[in-house]
Amino acid sequence: MPSRSLRTGRSLGLAPVAWIAVILYGMFLLYPLVQSLFLSFTDKNPLQAGSAFVGLANYRELLSDDRLLSSLLFTMIVVVAVTVVANTVGLLLAIVLNRSSANYRVMRTLIFIPQVLSGVIVGFIWRSILTQNGLLNSALAQVGLIDEPVAWLGDSQLAVLSVCTVVSWITIAFATVVYTASLQSVPQELYEAARMDGAGVLGRFRHVTLPMIAPGTTISVVLCLITTLKLYDVVAVLTGGGPAESTQSTAFYLISVAFTDNRFGYASSIAMFLLALTAVVSYGVTTLLRRRETNL
Amino acid sequence: MKRGPALMTAATGLAGALALTGCSTSATSAGGGGGGGLTFMTFETPALTATFWDTSIAEAQKEVPDTKIKKIVSPDADRTAYAKQLQASGQFPDILSSVNPKDFSAAGLLKPFDQKWLDDNFTDPDGNAIDGKSYIPPTNSQVIPMIFYNKKIFAENGIEPPTTWDEFVDVVTTLKKAGVTPVEMAGGEPWSAAIPLSGIITADVLGADPEWIQKRYKNEVKFTDPGMTAAVGKYRQLIDAGAFDKGALSVSYADANKQFLDGESAMYPMGSWFIGQIPAAAAKDYGTFLLPSATGKPIVPFNTGGTTAVSAKSSNVADATKFAQAWSLSKANLKTLIETDGAFPMLKNVPFEEFGAKVTPVYTDGFKLVTEDNTKVSAFGQVNNDDALPPGLVEQFNSLAQKLFTSSDVKDELASFDAGWDKAAK
Repeated sequence: MPSRSLRTGRSLGLAPVAWIAVILYGMFLLYPLVQSLFLSFTDKNPLQAGSAFVGLANYRELLSDDRLLSSLLFTMIVVVAVTVVANTVGLLLAIVLNRSSANYRVMRTLIFIPQVLSGVIVGFIWRSILTQNGLLNSALAQVGLIDEPVAWLGDSQLAVLSVCTVVSWITIAFATVVYTASLQSVPQELYEAARMDGAGVLGRFRHVTLPMIAPGTTISVVLCLITTLKLYDVVAVLTGGGPAESTQSTAFYLISVAFTDNRFGYASSIAMFLLALTAVVSYGVTTLLRRRETNL
Repeated sequence: MKRGPALMTAATGLAGALALTGCSTSATSAGGGGGGGLTFMTFETPALTATFWDTSIAEAQKEVPDTKIKKIVSPDADRTAYAKQLQASGQFPDILSSVNPKDFSAAGLLKPFDQKWLDDNFTDPDGNAIDGKSYIPPTNSQVIPMIFYNKKIFAENGIEPPTTWDEFVDVVTTLKKAGVTPVEMAGGEPWSAAIPLSGIITADVLGADPEWIQKRYKNEVKFTDPGMTAAVGKYRQLIDAGAFDKGALSVSYADANKQFLDGESAMYPMGSWFIGQIPAAAAKDYGTFLLPSATGKPIVPFNTGGTTAVSAKSSNVADATKFAQAWSLSKANLKTLIETDGAFPMLKNVPFEEFGAKVTPVYTDGFKLVTEDNTKVSAFGQVNNDDALPPGLVEQFNSLAQKLFTSSDVKDELASFDAGWDKAAK
């Protein structure tokens, strides 16, 4: 007959561990979140001890802040571009690399490397590639494709394109892994059955692969959206938000408002807005894609 | 069914983490020291290396032998923003190097240095004064910008250093026709992109009215006023004339230095710290001149430098001050700053020879601008005294310098800058 203490231990199971997680979640996420919400109704300056309640003034200011608007526009361009590119290319790579031989395993590992690197390191690497005298311009000049260096980071439109490319490079790695895992869970019998029904390559992709990897697609798309909406590190290192704030993401602007302009209260209202935007976009896209999963 | 909520939890968590990163705060009481230790926030550049800081700290620590100094290194050049982050997380350093003190002093976070100590030790004791108090010892000075030029390229094109704006534009045109990039610009980094524009505004606007910044604080002048508009229009004139390389906004500071020193461009408006980047053996090939002002009168865009600020909230203000004073008066530190950072020393009663620094003719020419009797005015957007811009405005100014590459509507851009000033100076 088990002792009383052993029975208690069994009945608790992993509950203590779960409680630690809940407590940590509360301390490091919920508490700061609530505090940010509170600060968003104040004129808090990070250098001053006190602050005054300003009601909805910060939120009203959001509506007329041109710099916020342009940062949002840039962020949304990156979100859409990266989500489309990363998922399309990620899926293609996953299909190509969905083999079991050692070569393919090595290639899958190599492709995942950008996701493992910190955004700061990625930013530095790509900066050395894209600057005026960087590797890309040198390579293009050597093969005779350009006569003078291209301002990849110095022209507003090219800088936006550069940021999209670099963030896609990182995100493709993640999408590839998600799609590879999804593809490996598709039963081969389904392909056999489709083949026997006369389905070609495209038919099998349309009627077997796409429906079966739909849950993976949902995860990949939503997480791409979320990570890109809070884009900061790559921009900070690669372009510093420039030139002329043309690549200033909303998260980058938020940090600048807080620690350069000394407007913690207003920065908190931007953070709350971004949180709400992320939640709404994530919820909307999740709902949409889950409906699609059902329909497929 | 289970994946939806999990996904939403992840979404909320990730976005929430952003809110946490950007906007969490803690007690505003500062002071990272205590327990016999003090923290010293430094920053590293190619000239001011980790070894320099370690050596200088060890030397100054002799003044406070019972106190351990812990170095905190700013992750990038923007040490003022980093200091604010440390303050927001309750880790404000006891001693800070080269921050813009205006924001911090207004919040009572910095302790002013004793006026007698300043008077006894510095040639311009009030050079860094804000409302009559100095939070950074005025150890050295800078000219921002000087126009460095390549003597060989000038000679090849029959050009002399210009003394008027029209001559300067003629030089640009001649060089452009000769296929030489007339003016080097490190436009990839906002702070260095703004140096030429800062130089023009300083020469024309502050040169004509040294009180202009103070008048702007009192709302007696605006950026849209004709004098300022004309000055900024000159910058646009240079852009239109092809003075800068087409890809200037993607050139980093390091690359710009290299390009100029490699003879790929003829002139380089940069702070006097660039003197330290010119190899001694090549120094004879370079000269300097001041950016010509609208009136033709030589205007020296001047900044009083200095390093150590002391936290008023430190657990040991006395030792922090002693350390800061020792660091600032160290001849060895000044020697390094003179040789690697082109710093012009402003220590009283210390003849230049006593530093034992090896300098080039380019340095000597620049130093004359500091020691000679001439018209010195605050370098726009570069100073740490009463003429410092409101919080966030330096960054907006840097951005404006980049924006004017593609926007020809100077008046409209300056109206936006005025609006930014009004918001920041509230």
